[in-house]
Formats: sequence, structure tokens, C-alpha cells
Amino acid sequence: MKHRYGTGDVTLNIPSLSIEEGDVMGVVGPNGSGKSTFLKILAFLEPISEGSILYKGNKSSGIETELREEITYLLQEPYLLKRTIFENIAYGLKLRGKNFNVKERVCDSLLRVGLNPDNFINRPWYRLSGGEAQRVALAMRLALRPKVLLLDEPTANVDEQSAQLVKAAALSAWKEWGTTVIIATHDLTWLHEVSTVIVTLYKGRIVGKEAENIIQGSWEINGDFAVRNFSDGQIIRGFCCETENILAGSISPSKIKITTVEQPRSDSLNIIKGTVVQTTLDSKKESVYVFVKVGESMIKVLMPLGQMQKDKIYPSTQVWISFSPNNLNWLY
Amino acid sequence: MDFILEGLAQGIKLIFSMDEETANIVTTTLRLTALSMFGILSLGLPLGFLIGYHDFPGKSFLRYLVDILLSLPTVVIGLLVYAFICRNGPFGRYELLFTIRGMAIGQLILGLPIVIAYTATVVEELDSRLKMTLKTVGASGFQLAITSLWESRFQILVAALTSYGRIIGEVGSAMMLGGNIKWYTRTITTAISLETGKGDFALGIALGVILIAISIVLNFTLSLIRRRTEKLQFLN
Repeated sequence: MKHRYGTGDVTLNIPSLSIEEGDVMGVVGPNGSGKSTFLKILAFLEPISEGSILYKGNKSSGIETELREEITYLLQEPYLLKRTIFENIAYGLKLRGKNFNVKERVCDSLLRVGLNPDNFINRPWYRLSGGEAQRVALAMRLALRPKVLLLDEPTANVDEQSAQLVKAAALSAWKEWGTTVIIATHDLTWLHEVSTVIVTLYKGRIVGKEAENIIQGSWEINGDFAVRNFSDGQIIRGFCCETENILAGSISPSKIKITTVEQPRSDSLNIIKGTVVQTTLDSKKESVYVFVKVGESMIKVLMPLGQMQKDKIYPSTQVWISFSPNNLNWLY
Repeated sequence: MDFILEGLAQGIKLIFSMDEETANIVTTTLRLTALSMFGILSLGLPLGFLIGYHDFPGKSFLRYLVDILLSLPTVVIGLLVYAFICRNGPFGRYELLFTIRGMAIGQLILGLPIVIAYTATVVEELDSRLKMTLKTVGASGFQLAITSLWESRFQILVAALTSYGRIIGEVGSAMMLGGNIKWYTRTITTAISLETGKGDFALGIALGVILIAISIVLNFTLSLIRRRTEKLQFLN
């Protein structure tokens, strides 16, 4: 499908994508890559300009209102109706004519997001902190027992405690009801813990089926190579046949090697030095994502957990990372 | 000055005694404005919502037209409606002239643009997150409209009260379309106009005091609602 706002440029261009029922899909990408638009389209809140979306194998056009009874979207900045918390959460239930056991459902939803019903049920919408408002907004969606739950940066504007509760509540929907959960977030730690699949978006296109490294900035063409200078003077390059302006280079974290031993210069490899700033466990793969700061950029490297422990690679460790120029992909 | 004070004293006596004629004038006014407001809100809220919610070719022109109607003089409206509902007019057979219903048509045209314009503006300024929130929890188009209007109920109330203020205080179209018939179509404003012309200052003053009282209550309520709306916008 393709999407554009009005007659403007294409904001999303996805030739094909399949999301399986029961997936927890992470959507990552820099700001402006189209994550929010992508989620709104999947929530049938934003129409596509070309193409089609199939839901459970059936065309969705013309039945968006019915589909929104199964699919719900949590905004990045929550909006609550000008009524009590109870009335907010019960609103969707009443729209569906589900007028029995409403109080039980509302209380259950509040408990899932870590809010005590006795304290919150009669509270008006304006007497909530930002984190509480986001949790109530999530409770509003969970009360509907959605088949698909779309979360747009759900922890971006909330305190740490609320963030943990939001994450747990979203996951509870997946575990208990088999809800398909799609999360747009910069929180890679969380994504790697929970996601069954991750896609990387860049300028409205899917550029990888995991959390790719997107190396933006100024790439200069030098013969057969495109060259990127970092602010610390280091350089990387990749083979490049196109003459179009390159927006970014992308490389999979699994295609980068990391070591604490200084590497000799090589014409066939990019070798750069950096400092480890963060490590994130990918428990499913028994691997670790190591975030290395190189100049002004952050590069993720995927390495086996055992090797990380053996080489003693921890935050603040100085490391050398290397990859072949052939492994860089170009984004135009 | 004595003449004014004497008229004032007699007017106040009339209010407290509430003679039959005064009572009839007040109830006719209230019946007329209730009927007019029913029509104004029934048409104005949905139209205002549709204009504010949707983008369509000609929307700017439509808004401009509504703004023009806002500033039409009341006697011109009275004249236009008179032409349609008089015996020789296209709707003459419905015998609306010199009736409450005929007067209500004139007041509807007076008050409708206010509600449409206010409602359209309120809907245009609604938080875009409201629409997304309502749709994503399953609201249909109708449910979205009702809830959106309810979410902006204080602003809508301001529109309704402003419209009411305009129609209750107008005399031009009420005189032309109602004929100021005693016991039948005589309202506060048409009665004031008549009695002042006759020199019966007392009744004119009594009715004027009632009209001022209604106006004060109206403006006080508007002021309270505006403060509450500002407070809620701040909290949001």
C-alpha cells in the first residue's frame, strides 16, 4: 500500500507486509519515518491512497467502522473524554451495547494498568497525572478486549513507573487473550524482550525485518564508494553503484563484529573505534545488543551473550567494530 | 425626571401584581422563543457540526454566507419572511402570518446563523485526538457527532444562549410577522414599542425591567460558562 497526505509526497510505501495473528510486532525507526502513520493506517483511522489491506484474509475497504470494533489504537499523547474515569473506560463498552458487567470490566481494566478502582473510578479526567492519563487511556482500550492493539510510543511521555505498568498491561492482553500487539517505540530494550518480529521503517519504507542500524548524515560519493565521515574523524564506506543522493546507509546488527582488541587497518573492512553506552538482552536469541557510540552516531551490534561476558564488554568499554562494505544497504 | 421615576414606580408595581395582560405578554414571549430555539438548535447543531467537521468544495463560501446572515437587520428578515408567508406569498395557504409560528420562522432565521457559526468553529477547533479516540473505540459517525458536541457542551451552550439573547430582544421581525395582536402575538419587545408610543410608560417599563432581568441572567450564565470553559481548557 501507499499513503500520502492530500496531494503531497508519498509518506508510506510498503509493497507487502504480513502480520500474523498473535504476533507482537515492534516498529522502529527514526523520527519522521512514518511509524505513527503506519499504525493509524493499520487501525483504519487513516485511509490509504493506493493498494489494499487485508484483515483475516478479507478486504477491509468499506468496513472500516466494523473493523474498528476489533482493532484499537493508543495515541502517543492520551486524550480522555470530559467525564469521570469510569465513564471514559465504559464509553466503548456502551457503544457496543455491552451494558452488563460494565463495572466489573472497568475495575478489571483499571487493575491491569495498576490503578486502584476505589481511588480512580469517580475521579474526573483532569485530576490525573500524565502517566495516570496514559494508563486510563490504555484501560479504555483493554476494556474492549481488542483482537489487535496498536500502541504508538506508549511510554514516551510517562514516568518510569507508569511505563512499566503500561508495558505489563499491554503484554497481558497478548498473553491472556492472544491479542496481536503492534508497538511503535524507541524503547529497544522492551522491544527485544517482548517482540516476535521487528520491522524498521525509514522514510516510509520498511528497510529491515529487525532493528537495523540506520546511518544518516552526509554520504559523499568517491569513485565506487559512498563515504561517511563521523565527527571524530573516523570514516566508513560502502560499495555504491547508484548516483542518486543517498539518504542513509543501513546495516544489520548481526553483520557487525565487535572486539576489545584494536584491529589493524584493512582495505576490505570498515574498522572504527567507539565506546559502549548500553547493552540490551535479547533473551529469545541468548544474544545481546551492544550500543556503541561512534562520533555523533549510535551503532547497534548483536553478539552472543557468552562472548560479551568473555570479552568483558560493558558500558564505557572501548571497542572496535568492523563490517564489510558489501553489507551496507542504501536508502535513497 | 419625575415622569420617569413615576413610570418606574408604576412599572415595579405591575411586576409584583403581575396582571393578566403582563403575564400573557411574558408567557407569549417565552412560548415563542422556546419554539424558535427548538428549531434553531434542531437545525443549527447538526448543520454546524457538518460544516465544521467536513472539508468540502464551497465550505469557505458557505461559512461566508452564514456570516452574512449573522449581520442581516431584523426588519429585513421580517420583510423577507413576510413576503413568503403573506396571503399572496408562496406559503400563504399555511396562514402563518400574524401567528406565533410565523414569528418563530423569523426568529429562526435570526438565531440559526449564530448557532451554525459557533458550532462549526467549535467543531473545527476540537482536539484532533478526540476524533481518533472516538473512532478507535468504535464510534460510528452519528455517535462521533453526538459525543463531539457533548464534549464541547459549554461552548455549544454559549452559542445557544447568544442566539436566545438575539431573538428575545428583537422587535422588527416580531412586529411585522406577529402584528402585535393583544392576547395572541404580543411579546415583550412589541409591547414595549406599542406602549411607549401610546405614552403608557408604566407597562413599558415593567416589561423592560423583565427583559433586562432576563438579559442579566443570560449574561451572568454566559459569563459563568465562559469561565468554566476557560478553566477546563487550562486543565486539559
